[in-house]
Amino acid sequence: MARITLTDLTKVYDPGGEAVVAADDISLEVTDGEFLVLVGPSGCGKSTTLRCIAGLEDITEGSLEFDDQNVTTYSASERDVAMVFQNYALYPHMTVRQNLGFGLKLSTDLPSAEISEKVDAVAEMLGISELLGDKPKALSGGQQQRVALGRAIVREPEVFLMDEPLSNLDAKLRSDMRTELQELQQDLGVTTVYVTHDQTEAMAMGDRIAVMNAGELQQVGPPEEVYRSPKNEFVADFIGSPSINLFDANVNDSTLTGPGGFVYELEDASPVESYDHVRVGIRPEDITVVEESPNRATVTVVEPMGNENFCYMTLGDVEMTARIAPTKRPVADEGVAFTFAEEALYLFDPVTGESLKTKTDDTTPDLTTEVSG
Amino acid sequence: MREQRRKDAVWKFLTYSFILVMTLGMMVPLYWMIVAASLPQEEFIRFPPRLYPGTEFLNNLSVLHEETQFLISIWNSVFIAVVYTILSVLLCSMAGFAFAKYEFRFKEPIFYLILATLILPIQLLVIPLFLMMAQIGWTDTFRAIILPWLANPIGIFLMRQNMKSIPDALLESARMDGATEFQLFYRIALPAMRSSLAALAIILFLFQWDLFLYPLVILEDPGNYTIPVALSGLEESRRINFDQIMVASSLAIIPMAILFLFLQKQFVSGILAGSLKE
Repeated sequence: MARITLTDLTKVYDPGGEAVVAADDISLEVTDGEFLVLVGPSGCGKSTTLRCIAGLEDITEGSLEFDDQNVTTYSASERDVAMVFQNYALYPHMTVRQNLGFGLKLSTDLPSAEISEKVDAVAEMLGISELLGDKPKALSGGQQQRVALGRAIVREPEVFLMDEPLSNLDAKLRSDMRTELQELQQDLGVTTVYVTHDQTEAMAMGDRIAVMNAGELQQVGPPEEVYRSPKNEFVADFIGSPSINLFDANVNDSTLTGPGGFVYELEDASPVESYDHVRVGIRPEDITVVEESPNRATVTVVEPMGNENFCYMTLGDVEMTARIAPTKRPVADEGVAFTFAEEALYLFDPVTGESLKTKTDDTTPDLTTEVSG
Repeated sequence: MREQRRKDAVWKFLTYSFILVMTLGMMVPLYWMIVAASLPQEEFIRFPPRLYPGTEFLNNLSVLHEETQFLISIWNSVFIAVVYTILSVLLCSMAGFAFAKYEFRFKEPIFYLILATLILPIQLLVIPLFLMMAQIGWTDTFRAIILPWLANPIGIFLMRQNMKSIPDALLESARMDGATEFQLFYRIALPAMRSSLAALAIILFLFQWDLFLYPLVILEDPGNYTIPVALSGLEESRRINFDQIMVASSLAIIPMAILFLFLQKQFVSGILAGSLKE
């Protein structure tokens, strides 16, 4: 197993003389046996970064190390990594057994009996033993997924790389495989870098998550930390579902005023001392619907989820979402008063987007308690 | 409702009649060739013509064999076409793979230049090629027939288009599995292209099988003649030996028919490859 170190990794594509920086100065360390998720919107450079680690793309600048060995210039096959592709990339003319054994056959000089043994063991582990004689075409999406995983596992590589491996599966299968993948990774203890655009998947799977945008690394940390203390507005907006409510507000000493008559008195105005306006963020679960409050929004739709209700509303021209208890059901088109705790408030620099204040205490109301009570 | 059904039936009848007539139109010359091959020369030119096979096939064959070396010509044609097809399929698919899956300088211009050679008719190339072959002393050899046509622009184009449908991830995956670039080609790309290769093989085989003017110019010894050259020899001297030409033609279509029977399933799916999203 290996520790992966990226130092100032930069990848520039140069199609027809027009340089596009796909990954910009990325420095990142993935510890031995860790499950790191690279997450970001499409085109943010996460797949490029993964492909650079895999050796499928040349690294324009910077270096890549596995443990203490500099592998920047190594070819893909020399790096001892295995990759699971989004569309599985199974060899269509080979049986499952041949697919699984192909890498061992090419990259090792193991006798075929031993390869066969390893293939059997991995097939057993993934529950695909009875499919060994089939061609990929005859398999379902989930089975193909397992074969693709098996092909990576059987080589016992230093590093697993996964490029949105679950995105072609239906929702139910995806969440099953998610759990299974995590268990598998924990059992094998192989350092894993996993790319996804789905922040829920990232939060659920990663030991740590690395959020990327526009080729730059925004923040790396455990999921809870990234959620609670985002480095900037982008991370706050990207992580969390439904996403954080964001709007502009003017600062007047310690008073914030915003759209739709929004007004909030800060107890601690130190983060906004030198600002005359800021970006305000409130997580949907931190909004409480109350009887009386200076802040009122107009309800547009209420979506019951069973264990909670999503209340969509407009505050002036800003759309907002609140996660409220299932017992509360505001009426559409009517005004509703809401409030939130200052500890739950996020404030961002209006120009750079950097965080001025993030959650200072766990103020998230426990919705489930309300259900049972 | 009933009106509609009758209309459909009439249309169906007309369609099938048309197909039948067209099929007969195609089959009659073939049938006549086989009938004529089994008739003595006198009966062949009689009118009205005899419409069922006679008994002289073996006789005609032995005359053909005495007067020419036609069986050797069949062997020559088969040998040349098979060697050519194998080499050319290999070359065209390698070139197609490179054009489809690699980036290199002047890739597009080179490709279009290759395509542009399609404009040149064979007749235009025969003399310069003959002079070249004469210069290096290759006249009257099989290699002079095979080598100049190996890089077939249609073949390269066909393989490039089909190779493009191989997902990049498949090749990358093999690369990570430790495959060399050549292994990518013959272990991943070639097996994935089986039906296209069959189609290409038939096209190339047919091209070489039918090649006439060029071998006529290059080949001198009758023992080296290919089928088209040998056939033309039958009508050059004192008289036209229709019976022998018919025997020879009947024999000449056999290898072609065998090849097509073997490859037709792949041929059809190869021609249609990539037309439907899977």
